[in-house]
Amino acid sequence: MQNSSTKHPSGFAMLYYREYRRIVRVIRQTILTPLVNSALYLMIFGISLGGSLEMAEGFSYLAFLIPGLVMMGCLNNSYQNTSSSVTNSKFHGDLQDLRVMPLTYNSIVWALCFGGLTRGLIVGSMNYFMGMAFHYFYYGSFLPMHSPLLFFAFILIGSLCFANIGIAVAFWAKTFEQLSAVGNFILIPLMYLGGVFYSVEGLSPFWKLLSQLNPLFYLINGVRYGMLGKSDVEPVTALVVSSISLVLLYFLSRQCVKVGKYQRF
Amino acid sequence: MKALEIDSVSKSYGELKALDEVSFHINEGEMFSLLGPNGSGKTTLISIISSLLKSDGGHIKVFGQEVGPDRHDTKRLFGLVPQEIINHGFFTVEEILEFVSGYYGIYKNKERINFLLKKLGLDEHRKKLVNQLSGGMKRRFLIAKALIHRPKLLLLDEPTAGVDIELRNSLWEFVRELNEKEGMAILLTTHYLEEAEELCDRISIISHGKLLKTGKTKDLISDLTQRIVELKLTEEVQCASEFLTRQEGKKLFFEVPKKHSVGDILKSLELDRSLIEDIKIKEGNLEDAFLNVVQGARNAE
Repeated sequence: MQNSSTKHPSGFAMLYYREYRRIVRVIRQTILTPLVNSALYLMIFGISLGGSLEMAEGFSYLAFLIPGLVMMGCLNNSYQNTSSSVTNSKFHGDLQDLRVMPLTYNSIVWALCFGGLTRGLIVGSMNYFMGMAFHYFYYGSFLPMHSPLLFFAFILIGSLCFANIGIAVAFWAKTFEQLSAVGNFILIPLMYLGGVFYSVEGLSPFWKLLSQLNPLFYLINGVRYGMLGKSDVEPVTALVVSSISLVLLYFLSRQCVKVGKYQRF
Repeated sequence: MKALEIDSVSKSYGELKALDEVSFHINEGEMFSLLGPNGSGKTTLISIISSLLKSDGGHIKVFGQEVGPDRHDTKRLFGLVPQEIINHGFFTVEEILEFVSGYYGIYKNKERINFLLKKLGLDEHRKKLVNQLSGGMKRRFLIAKALIHRPKLLLLDEPTAGVDIELRNSLWEFVRELNEKEGMAILLTTHYLEEAEELCDRISIISHGKLLKTGKTKDLISDLTQRIVELKLTEEVQCASEFLTRQEGKKLFFEVPKKHSVGDILKSLELDRSLIEDIKIKEGNLEDAFLNVVQGARNAE
């Protein structure tokens, strides 16, 4: 049971403010690099290769790709922000401040999560506007938004899920190798196999089933439904699976903050 | 009320006992030093007090309140100056002090930040990144960080390691001022025993995780050290005394327990005073007492 004081304001706002300042301070790394990546994906997959593809639902491949890239930008950057913030602090030694000073586990988790969400939303929105620009120049029109509420709900849930994963992994990791192993061998494959670049409808039953076991499949398809009104999974199913994932990941990251290693790498 | 109570605290790393039922206390407003060789358990104990490590057993209270990761009210009562330098990456000295104030729930703390920056000679470096500061400045910055919320107990884990003598003196002056003017209790670990002797009212000596001695600094020196007396005579004379340790020609060397005076030696010698050309007296100090205790414990093992 946390013994938080009612007499003193929480340190949550300041910790979030620090996260925000960190994003701004290293903007080339936090915002510009992901944007360049997304522009390359749009050019290579959306325009060059996707020009000759037509999706089953009648959408262009570029239209299919844009929501996936928006979501990938959010997920990737939310994860990167929380994991790199904690890892850098472990490297510099100042992570121990969070343990020595009167910050509750919830303050730490939510401040870091909102930091991740901030970066995820910035990169996600810029991916969205860039995608729209590509679509306009290639097809002469912007993509309409089918359900802004569902679109935003999935963006929010997905970003918070990945911010929580970043916290959990970074607090758990004892070395840089462990940290990058989780990213390279688990998260990136899950993200690429979650349906950013392709529809599972075209897969064999085995791979289709395997894709459906990937929680990212529901997040990416949820966003796609919010934008295009079509996806490989029912939006309600996607919303339920994503929300349950968020709750579980929140408890996981909170536990990692509670028992994790605060001392220097 | 006691500023700090350490009661039977133990900690093991596998087979190694880093702390073995350690108990002592620090009174309110007291300057207390924990002395021990490298690896004796000092930093482990400070890490347990500040919740960075979990003890295997025992209790720690700061001003009557238990310490622990969830004890946020207790955390507001103390400040920690860690042994290792912390860098903080992308942020400036001033920004970090603002952040740290906020972590304690103090969102308007300019006055305190300015006071500490000026007092610790960091005012002109406030816009610098921490890794642009010199080693001594980084130490001072860590002290500013620990004092940002006006703690009642300051934990100083070897704060003068690698710091030049001038800076060391100014740091100690500041620490003494905090103790005298703000009534702050201080727990200090240091390798500079003369500093502990000069600054601290009481000390504990720890070795291999065991607390060997605790007491008033001057009492420990008096109980655990000998006074070395060197008598130089005008001519070589054979003498006998229970305190005599060796004779080198005209020079006589004595080791005298502190309770005995130089007069006692002279009486025991029954020497004609006109034969005495010079007397040199070397008083025992904390370093002697420390070595006596630590080596005694080592020999007993």
